[in-house]
Amino acid sequence: MTTPPLPVQTFMQEANEVLESLETRLLELEGDPTNSEIIDAVFRNLHTLKGSGEMFGFTALARFTHSFENAYDAVRSGKAQVSQALIDVSLRSRDHIQRLIDIGTDEAENARLAEAPEGLALLKEIDAILGKASDAPAEASHPVEGEDETEQGPQRFRATFTPDVDSLRTGMRPDLLVEELADLGTATVECFADAVPPLEEIDPAGCYLRWEIAIETDAGRTAIEDIFLFADEDALKLEEAGSALDAVEAPATSIEAKSIGGAASPAPAAPAAAPAQKGNDGGERATAARRSDSVRVQSHRLDALMDQLGELVIAQARLNRIAQELADPNLVGTAEEIERLITGLRDATLSIRMLPIGTVFGKFRRVVRDLSSELGKDVTLVTEGEDTELDKNVIDSLSEPLVHIIRNSVDHGVEPLEARKAAGKPDLATVKMGAFQSGGEVLVTVSDDGGGLKTDRIRARAIERGLIPEDNDLTDKQINQLIFAPGFSTAETLSSVSGRGVGMDAVRTVITDLGGSVEVESTKGVGTDITLRLPLTLAIIEGLLVRVASAPYVLPLASVEECVELTAEQTRRESGRSILTIRDELVPFLDLKMLFGFATDGEATRRIVIVRAEGRRVGLVVDDIIGQHQTVIKSLSPYHRDIDGLAGGTILGDGSVALILDPVALVKSTGTLSAEAA
Amino acid sequence: MTTDSNKTNLPSQGRMTILTFRLMGEIFALAVERVHEIIDPLPVTLVPRTDPFVPGLVNVRGSVVPVADLRQRLEMPPAEATEHSRMVVLDVLIEDTATKVAIVADSVDQVSEVEGSQIEPVPEIGMRFAPRFLAGVAKRDGDLIILLRVETVFEPPQVRNSRAA
Repeated sequence: MTTPPLPVQTFMQEANEVLESLETRLLELEGDPTNSEIIDAVFRNLHTLKGSGEMFGFTALARFTHSFENAYDAVRSGKAQVSQALIDVSLRSRDHIQRLIDIGTDEAENARLAEAPEGLALLKEIDAILGKASDAPAEASHPVEGEDETEQGPQRFRATFTPDVDSLRTGMRPDLLVEELADLGTATVECFADAVPPLEEIDPAGCYLRWEIAIETDAGRTAIEDIFLFADEDALKLEEAGSALDAVEAPATSIEAKSIGGAASPAPAAPAAAPAQKGNDGGERATAARRSDSVRVQSHRLDALMDQLGELVIAQARLNRIAQELADPNLVGTAEEIERLITGLRDATLSIRMLPIGTVFGKFRRVVRDLSSELGKDVTLVTEGEDTELDKNVIDSLSEPLVHIIRNSVDHGVEPLEARKAAGKPDLATVKMGAFQSGGEVLVTVSDDGGGLKTDRIRARAIERGLIPEDNDLTDKQINQLIFAPGFSTAETLSSVSGRGVGMDAVRTVITDLGGSVEVESTKGVGTDITLRLPLTLAIIEGLLVRVASAPYVLPLASVEECVELTAEQTRRESGRSILTIRDELVPFLDLKMLFGFATDGEATRRIVIVRAEGRRVGLVVDDIIGQHQTVIKSLSPYHRDIDGLAGGTILGDGSVALILDPVALVKSTGTLSAEAA
Repeated sequence: MTTDSNKTNLPSQGRMTILTFRLMGEIFALAVERVHEIIDPLPVTLVPRTDPFVPGLVNVRGSVVPVADLRQRLEMPPAEATEHSRMVVLDVLIEDTATKVAIVADSVDQVSEVEGSQIEPVPEIGMRFAPRFLAGVAKRDGDLIILLRVETVFEPPQVRNSRAA
């Protein structure tokens, strides 16, 4: 398939957002089946999908959604009740709609899918659940709130549809709209080409046609207006015609009326009319609200803005340095002011990319719900900190790993019901997802109240796989981290849910690529907590500038816990050892000068930066600590990007290049540290 | 890209524009399309745990650019910078990533044109440099110009010495 034109892409993107909202609403409705606000919201979602789907040529989507929408109309009008069965089939219908969106606008595909058995089966189910309710003519008993258009008997209308010249460019399909209108009743359609300009002025992609449709229908005025909901307001002129039909001379085309949806549709077209108005209003309100508080921007533009800002931060560092050197108070004052402004600009720009993590949390309600019914476990998902904001790129990459973790929690973590009863736990298991900010990081946690990790089995498996030596003396906590090791899985049976042995390893890879880390904490019989630590922003970090030999290096401030001095006497005393005693605490350390292969010149006083890596405190010995530094991360070329312990490069105020260190990778690369320290 | 590399690989037809520079008295050449700029040597930040072929990084107008040591690759002894030394910043593809690379030349000669017919294959005998790094040779005014093969001469080293400690 070729890439769809831009308006269609926009529609697909918006439709996906509507589907997400639909899913959330359906799950809310499951817990609160009589809440009319939620029912209305579901209805509006479906209505928006139908309307814009039709407009952009997603005919199969529009037809399917139409029937689905009728079901919720019946619920709205009190003729049907929200039941577990209805929610079930609605969720599956939502998935079907997702597929209909994914296939795009290809006409043959659409025709095939409109008749596809899974769609028809879903519609039958909806019918069956609604029973007689949807068969009864809706108008007869329909209590219409504040609407004045409960039409009785057929009416004649004369509609003049004059789309804007540019309307084809925005993806409008006048043919579909006219066809849909003709479907409402007995219609005579005429097409006029009198507005077509002379050849030299014609825009080949412009629309110069005008349609006049005389229609006899009992669907009412709103139903007609509703069809043209997404066209320009001026494009449609609609008047009640009475005998105007006679005035039509020589019709150019005539389309026979037929019922929308054909055999697949359980409801006659007519009942759509009255509810359509309410949906119409709601839909417009929602669209208007969205327009006012958000702007759609292509992410590469934001990336370009970020790049420029990065350059600005570097140039500003240079300015600061020059101002310090010249020591002109006016210049220093101005430089400080610019620094303050740039910091504000940086924060504002970064916040553009930020989205609340709640946008992915919604998805997991569904995952937990489906899994718990699949595995026969009663599990509820509790979320907190939905408002915590993360970079959009990070959020996009997070959803897969989180699905994996949640699956593991429900599949392996939560015990079968008998085991829970035996352990005196409530029947309903809880999986908790939370997100909160801590310093320069965002922590995302997934906790369950299940049986905890089986550390003995992890140890046995790790030895079997050769991941650790048999005579290891690792602590339980260290053993538990091995679930993230490549090729590790203890599941005895391979279920479709989890246990493919790539899961947690893949999770760690994604998180590491994002510049974060992942840890597991588990108590036998009480539960398991998995914590993802993610950097708040990717491009600019607060760093600690240090000196090793003669070169400057940057350590991410987020991983630095404290700095201590290492006296010459201590150096002598500790020589040959890799553990320091700091305030009665044993801290393993790495001498960066030795690690990097620089000559050790026995500097008298050196400093230790204590960082947190692999769940423990580790000291990094440096020659000097220069200070805090706002660091713009520049990625390294293929020559250097695979070197362990380097996270990137940056440019300092004096124009020199400094390397950014990754303390976790640095510690890990030495390998032997944990064994020595234990 | 294809036409570019063809030019470097098989410069048998037409004429090509080359930049010539010297290393240990030998004259080397690269297609001028590869050359981004020629600058005075910049201070190099050494990268720990790296391969000696790419010992460091420089700041070229706000970009962090790796420095590749052609002397090391061509098995020449290292040399101190002189007043004639220049950095040549090149645009090359490394592992399918468009990358800037800086090389240090003892001196930069000139930009000139060579006829395709002047370029000969690398002689099998008598050449002290590994043939896989070379695209051909050309004679001019009694001098031998050695054309470098960009695709191989900037290849990342196969074995990474990332665990030096």
